[in-house]
Amino acid sequence: MSSAVQTRRAPDWLLRGEAGLGPCGCGGTRRKGSFLEKTLSGGAGLLRQVMFSEDVAGRPGLLQRLDPRLKAVSLVVLLVAVGLVHHVSVLVGAYACTLVLAAASKLSIGFFVKRVWLFVPVFTGIVVLPATLSIVTPGEVVLPLWHWHGAPQGFTAQGLTTAALVVSRVATSVSLVVLLTLTTPWTRLLAALRALGVPRIFILIIGMAYRYVFLLLGTVTEMYEARKARTVSGGRHDRAARRFVTASAGALFGRAGHLSEEVHMAMVARGYRGNARTLHTFRLAPADALAAAVVLAAAVAIYGGDLLLGR
Amino acid sequence: MHIPDGYLSPQTCAAAFVVAVPTWAVAANRVTRVVKTRNVPTLAVFAALSFLVMMFNIPIPDGTTAHAVGAVIIAIALGPWAAVIAVSVALLFQALLFGDGGVLAFGANALNLAILMPFIGYGVYRLIAGRSPLTSTRRIAAAAIAGYTGINAAALATAVEMGIQPDLFHTASGAPLYSPYGLSQTIPAMALAHLTIAGAAEAILTGGVFAYLARTDPARLAATHRDIPATAGDAPAPRARRLTPARMTLGFVALMVLLTPLGLLAPGGAFGEDAPHDLNLRELGLSAIPAGLAKYNGFWSHTLLADYGFSDGQHAGLAYLLSAIIGIAVVAAVIFAISTLIERVARHREVGKPETA
Repeated sequence: MSSAVQTRRAPDWLLRGEAGLGPCGCGGTRRKGSFLEKTLSGGAGLLRQVMFSEDVAGRPGLLQRLDPRLKAVSLVVLLVAVGLVHHVSVLVGAYACTLVLAAASKLSIGFFVKRVWLFVPVFTGIVVLPATLSIVTPGEVVLPLWHWHGAPQGFTAQGLTTAALVVSRVATSVSLVVLLTLTTPWTRLLAALRALGVPRIFILIIGMAYRYVFLLLGTVTEMYEARKARTVSGGRHDRAARRFVTASAGALFGRAGHLSEEVHMAMVARGYRGNARTLHTFRLAPADALAAAVVLAAAVAIYGGDLLLGR
Repeated sequence: MHIPDGYLSPQTCAAAFVVAVPTWAVAANRVTRVVKTRNVPTLAVFAALSFLVMMFNIPIPDGTTAHAVGAVIIAIALGPWAAVIAVSVALLFQALLFGDGGVLAFGANALNLAILMPFIGYGVYRLIAGRSPLTSTRRIAAAAIAGYTGINAAALATAVEMGIQPDLFHTASGAPLYSPYGLSQTIPAMALAHLTIAGAAEAILTGGVFAYLARTDPARLAATHRDIPATAGDAPAPRARRLTPARMTLGFVALMVLLTPLGLLAPGGAFGEDAPHDLNLRELGLSAIPAGLAKYNGFWSHTLLADYGFSDGQHAGLAYLLSAIIGIAVVAAVIFAISTLIERVARHREVGKPETA
């Protein structure tokens, strides 16, 4: 898969920001990326990320060694435990544990932290910022900022607690999910979901969809590269751009339809009658039993510790 | 719009799964019954397509770009049940491969974007498109409006799920445990973003792709448009127009009846709704009624049924009912007038336009 993916990658020169020549002649100012560049870089970023994940999942490490079924169940158990916590200190402790696990699984800590925080928790931090003020979360004002008809208004203890709770809970949850997906090859994760009772039709659809994402992505990249190659002027032509986007989505729709018919005929020709068989079987090793015990203990510690701290 | 883990309580996530899991089961069943072997490749390819459509950046008239979900166009082309599975798989990819949307919150995200959105969008599309020919402007407009309605319905559901969190789950001292904003804050915030930018992106994508398919590749739409003529000339026999202004009006009134419980869900009353003297000044941190409010309150008093009652204050119950009936009648009359106008304009344009095959 990885070599096929590599050949379909958008070339780097296409993704580089363009140096704009502004009327002031200062140069060097970057133009706001157009829909073409955004879509192309989105596609290339997707491939890079998936390829990198498969790379890391192949490294020898603590979590890579465990049974994927166990990891999937553990993820849900730990997510629920983290979801039920009422104290920031417990969440911070759980987050520290995910860092230890990442280090033990040969993930670079800098990369892991960046991957977790860059998108969702930082965004969450900005989103919950107004909730720290008394206008959204009423309560005990700890840092008055202004007065409204005599009543002090500002940061409330309740608001700050909420912000800390939400951000630390989001960061811990995202860390847990990233730990699973970075240490488990996609095909093994799917096989684990099947073993856990997800109906076969869904597994088949998910597995094939994953495969065809890359094929269709190649088509999209080609369409957009061709468009970029034909684009001469730097001005915005939103109307034409919208036409192009919807027409290429429509063309993709048509191609997807043809593709699915061809794949269907090929499958039937090879003996497909509506149900699939798999060769892979899982064996639980002693290490997995130990890991299961550790996960259970961790979940109990998170929830129990939180109860002990009081509600 | 994808809710990450940590914004919703595990209880809410469980409730969403209770709705989503049976829907997935029915969807798999429905799709399998139609063609036994074809479903897997078709759904797989369209799930991949749905995932990629979320990556297409569309230039919006205000100068920014946004991406669409694509659930409604898939529902229009393949049917809503197929859309449920295709979009759910796309959401699963986003949750597992990119951390966009949570794992516990997957049920809630699927409920909003993969169940509510295609079904509501498809319903709106069928309602507006009626039996108009495949290439008619009305059908394209129906697709665009369906996309717009679908994404806004999904946004409303998301806002409600997040908005109920602070009231239901908080610590002993009153600090919310999950999403800290109440319904009165989440609904306007989501509505603002989705009635404008995201709604426009979805409407452009749904309408544009539908127009493209109807023009160049109508076979792709065959599954859900069996008896629909391709052009006005192919119509088998002139039928009565299905969406008359009267039906449109009835539909709107029925929709408003369905939405009535929203008033019960909304916390508290509107600010200073009845009289400024009823405001709880201390709770609001005020020492007096604001001067502007005191001045302009009662600025317009020439009403027929002031405070939903007769001027002499008799027969309060009867007056309240009468107010309700008059209110509904006025709204219905306005909608009827607008629909009649739209119908006139549409008919006028259809007559004036040369036939295109």
